[in-house]
Amino acid sequence: MKPLPSFLIHRPRTVNEALKMLSELEKAKPIAGGTDLLPLLRDRVVEAKNLIDISLIPELRGIKEGRNEIRIGAATKIKDVEKSRIIFEKAPVLCDAASSIGSPQIRNLGTIGGNICNASPAADSAPSLLVLDAYAEVVSSKGSREIPVKEVFKGPKRNSLRPDELLISIKFPEPFDTSTMSFQKLGRRRGYTIAQVNVAVLLEFDGPVCCDAKISVGAAASTPIRIYEAEERLWNKRLTEEIIEDASTQCMRAVDPIDDVRASAEYRREMSHVLVRRCLMEAWNKARRLM
Amino acid sequence: MEYANILQDLLKRDEYLIVGKKVARTDALDKVLGRALFTADYVPKGTMVVKVVRSLQPHALIRKIDYKEALKIPGVIRVITASDIPGENQIGYALPDQPFLNDAKVHYVGDPLALVCASDEYSASEAVDAIKVEYNALPSHLTVDSALASDAIPIHDGGNIAVKTRIRKGDVAKGFKESTVEVEETYETPYQEHMYLETEAAYAIPEGSDKVTVIGTMQSPFLVREKVAKILGWSLSQVRIIQALTGGAFGKKDDMGPLVCAEAALAAVLVGKPAARIYDRDESVAYTPKRFPARFRYRSGADSEGKLKAIEVEITLECGAYANRSPFWLWRQTAHAAGPYYVPNAAIDGKAVYTNKVYGGSFRGFGDLAMQFAAESQMDRLAEKINIDPIEFRLKNILKTGLTTTCDQLLDHSVGIEECLRRVAEASNWSKYVPCKEGSRVRGLGVGCAYHGISTSRGTPDWSACSLILNQDGTFTYRTGICELGQGSPIGHAKIVSEIVGAPLDFIHVELPDTSSTPDAKPTHGSRGLMLGGTAAADAALKLRDNMLKVAAEMLECREDEVELKGGEAFERGTPSNKISFSELAEELYARGISPASYGFYASPKRYFDPETGLGVNYSVYTFAASVAEVEVDLETGETTVLKVWPAMDVGKAIDPLMIEGQIEGAVSQGIGFALMENLILEDGVVLNPFFKDYIIPSALDTPEIAKPILVEKPYKHSAFGAKGVGEPAIISIVPAIVNAIHNATGIRFNTLPITAERLYDAIRRSRQ
Amino acid sequence: MEFSFILNGKRVVCDISDNQTLLDLLRDSLGVTSVKKGCEQGECGACTVLLDGEPVTSCLVLARRIEGREVTTVEGLVDDPKMKSLREAFLEEGAVQCGYCTPGMLLSAYSLIRSNLDPTEAQVKKAIEGNLCRCTGYVKIIEAIIHAAKKLKSE
Repeated sequence: MKPLPSFLIHRPRTVNEALKMLSELEKAKPIAGGTDLLPLLRDRVVEAKNLIDISLIPELRGIKEGRNEIRIGAATKIKDVEKSRIIFEKAPVLCDAASSIGSPQIRNLGTIGGNICNASPAADSAPSLLVLDAYAEVVSSKGSREIPVKEVFKGPKRNSLRPDELLISIKFPEPFDTSTMSFQKLGRRRGYTIAQVNVAVLLEFDGPVCCDAKISVGAAASTPIRIYEAEERLWNKRLTEEIIEDASTQCMRAVDPIDDVRASAEYRREMSHVLVRRCLMEAWNKARRLM
Repeated sequence: MEYANILQDLLKRDEYLIVGKKVARTDALDKVLGRALFTADYVPKGTMVVKVVRSLQPHALIRKIDYKEALKIPGVIRVITASDIPGENQIGYALPDQPFLNDAKVHYVGDPLALVCASDEYSASEAVDAIKVEYNALPSHLTVDSALASDAIPIHDGGNIAVKTRIRKGDVAKGFKESTVEVEETYETPYQEHMYLETEAAYAIPEGSDKVTVIGTMQSPFLVREKVAKILGWSLSQVRIIQALTGGAFGKKDDMGPLVCAEAALAAVLVGKPAARIYDRDESVAYTPKRFPARFRYRSGADSEGKLKAIEVEITLECGAYANRSPFWLWRQTAHAAGPYYVPNAAIDGKAVYTNKVYGGSFRGFGDLAMQFAAESQMDRLAEKINIDPIEFRLKNILKTGLTTTCDQLLDHSVGIEECLRRVAEASNWSKYVPCKEGSRVRGLGVGCAYHGISTSRGTPDWSACSLILNQDGTFTYRTGICELGQGSPIGHAKIVSEIVGAPLDFIHVELPDTSSTPDAKPTHGSRGLMLGGTAAADAALKLRDNMLKVAAEMLECREDEVELKGGEAFERGTPSNKISFSELAEELYARGISPASYGFYASPKRYFDPETGLGVNYSVYTFAASVAEVEVDLETGETTVLKVWPAMDVGKAIDPLMIEGQIEGAVSQGIGFALMENLILEDGVVLNPFFKDYIIPSALDTPEIAKPILVEKPYKHSAFGAKGVGEPAIISIVPAIVNAIHNATGIRFNTLPITAERLYDAIRRSRQ
Repeated sequence: MEFSFILNGKRVVCDISDNQTLLDLLRDSLGVTSVKKGCEQGECGACTVLLDGEPVTSCLVLARRIEGREVTTVEGLVDDPKMKSLREAFLEEGAVQCGYCTPGMLLSAYSLIRSNLDPTEAQVKKAIEGNLCRCTGYVKIIEAIIHAAKKLKSE
């Protein structure tokens, strides 16, 4: 293991200040929690001469409920997402995901924006954000853009932001009160571990009919993915175990995992099937209790 | 007469004051206050840093080590290679096959080539990268089969078999002829990494021109001294070794103590400055010894009555790059191959084979963990074939007083395995248990038995020593070379001293082992720390007690046998008000010139051994254990959850039940790791998962319920109070209990560990096809 | 660059390079050796400290970024009644073996019982999932935390 390389830390108080630093300083990189970045810097996987600490910028912190929309500042700690009343009530699937990220120590440092920008295919918050149709608010000194969270992920540990861009917030439309959700994660132990596969689903019902379904699987492709062809199998149907099994099987076909030290591609594929089915069953059972 | 009875007669107590009772460890106070100092805590800021340059090739001849560029880096002080070593360039434990720094050949990815000394981490790290090594690559052996091929290039002179063992007892052909059922299987067990929280560390301070003091992590200060002196080419008296509190060891720090301390000492002496050598986590995982991987071909036969008739076992142990402890490890497996059962006919052959991978070394259970996983799987398989309950089958064959071990050693006392087994069966409600299924989850129960010879084997002399001083204020200073590694052995010694001299536990101060003042107690390994070290402590305490009684009797004006020592006071048993404090007593001893100090010594009874047949008195005594485990398997994911474990152990005498429980619970966790999740992954000899992130050990959330451990006490007649070692035996029965429970739940039997969720899932799927 | 922060209730001024971690600052420059180095990857929990009252792995915190904030280690909680209760329970229950994980473990436990004097076993396990221990198998640690909380609650 190598010691950390040399770099300078800058601590801007405003987004504009941060953006200026990102575009002007040599090899500048934003740092939020640092839980993923520090090991990458040690391993020389990421190179940075200037770290722009975005934790002091007020508008990057906190969870707000707007009109039909929830906004989470990019530098909001995972712990705050996990404990948020708003998230617990409106998007529990994100609460569950947040509480499965790292350890308490990591959740107290790491941020929701970092979990996304680190672009690990196994990022535990990603499947939940994908089924919530979350999008990322990205700004640079040249302007701003909003892209689906899914598109922030470009490949393993590669995000689609330009070096001068900064993720400001993550927003998603407030799910209907009738939506039900589920998150499941499989790892090599119960405590603090990287997912072999993680899955989130969100179902909406019109009476007994499933009118919308969203399924996302992580760690089963080079980025977390939505599996539309499986979702379609649930639309406008009165759900049965057979239909759920069919959609889950569809997911198994759609994923494209790799072999690594954590699991084989085949096991990941099979487990996406199992986890999707379990998530769908759980969400459906929740809905049936509401009906 | 048995030692325990002698003590009882001598101490004249209806009930012991402290032996056998739970106490709060006096050494734990500094640990909870954050004031306990570990090796790295002694290193002042700005101390010279030592790093190791390592081989990137698994097997190659070294053409050249070029460090010219490294020396140009600011902060780099010196680069040390083999030719700089003033003494002997050799650190091998059992065989002289392991250079301290390699200059001719590399044997695995990670083999040490040079030491870099620098003023700070940054320049040291840069220098390591700047050193260019040129190799002539050789074909490498990454499996034992490759190393055993007839045309295999030898890794060391003398071929790829480091050592062989054998046992011949009875007539195996006859035994199999008498058998009505036979089982033959091949088992494989993997590397296991110790993953203690504190990595290896040493801090060396040169003194004058010909002395060095090293503070470090270790299990055998006197072994460390011997190895450091050898590398420096110095006499033992020029080297002073101090064992700092050590943050977990589990065997590996016995192997790594000499290495890390020699790395620091050599740098400190050659440069003439204090040196710090602290291993990074990935270095510790990737390049230092692991539990030896092994393969067992195992054939067993039993008759229709359910009596074991014969076993035939072939052990292939993978040493990795160096033999290290493999001769001892392999012998232990050979000797314990049958498990704790009587078998009249046995043929056991072992060989330890070199490969070009990270080498094996000491680890809790020392061979018996893997061996008895195989033996216990065989027992379950035989029981199934005979169609008899696995515990009933074990009880028909279990070792008892009067029976002989596989080595034909007569067990004449202290054999508590039957009671352990019966009591875990009862506690777990074994006979009434029905495996159940709920949704995708199935549950099952499994049993494992184990035995483990305590301390060293065969004819090796085995002894321990210590010293005890009564200070003028009535407190005591106790010195033992047995190390505190977390297990609490020295506190066990202090309890023994406390009981015998009648001093409260906090009157007894245990010094850190320091070779300049501590008597050699031999290593803290083989579960010998309490049994041997503690018996030496009893010897020291009894000698000092004699002097204390003599003087106290005169001061109290009563007979010596009327004096009671208790609570830091000496008093007349019939007239307790006639008393003196230990400080008064101590002053009187000093004033009269009667020794206030004693040297304790203990030597194990002599054993003998026939190398031709492997038969003889192998270990002086055995600790026995049995466990039952209940598991739940998720058939859809292959995940196994250990729900509950019922452990039992024959400990001889529990000096401290709380500490024994701690050993057992820790062993359950490590056993779960070995059975289910710990999986070191190598590719072309390179370890791919050298961090906690991907080398998975159990977390708090993976902890099962553990029933209150059942402690069976069948005293050993030659140890203080009858105590036997517990640290290693605690883990051995856990693994087969889990593996057998998985079989009970799923019908699937694993011959290879670990049973990861993925492997179990695959097996479930295959079984359905 | 020079900056200050609060260490165990006292203001500390320090001057270190930007790439130093809080772990290195505490151990090397400030002599706070209860904070242990175990992996430098945030995976073992031996270097746990409380940052503004919350447990974090100090190996993943760049020291400069704690400017103006409060860092607490076990040294700073010697007289704290909750920590005292935890310490006593750890000693009585036999929750300490080698002791290397102990300071970090105590801080995670402290953080839990400060807000919850009636934790379930599951909550205790979750609170210490980031503190690995290789010696004890966690059983006595979990028991000690539950007992300390119970005792505090009954007082």
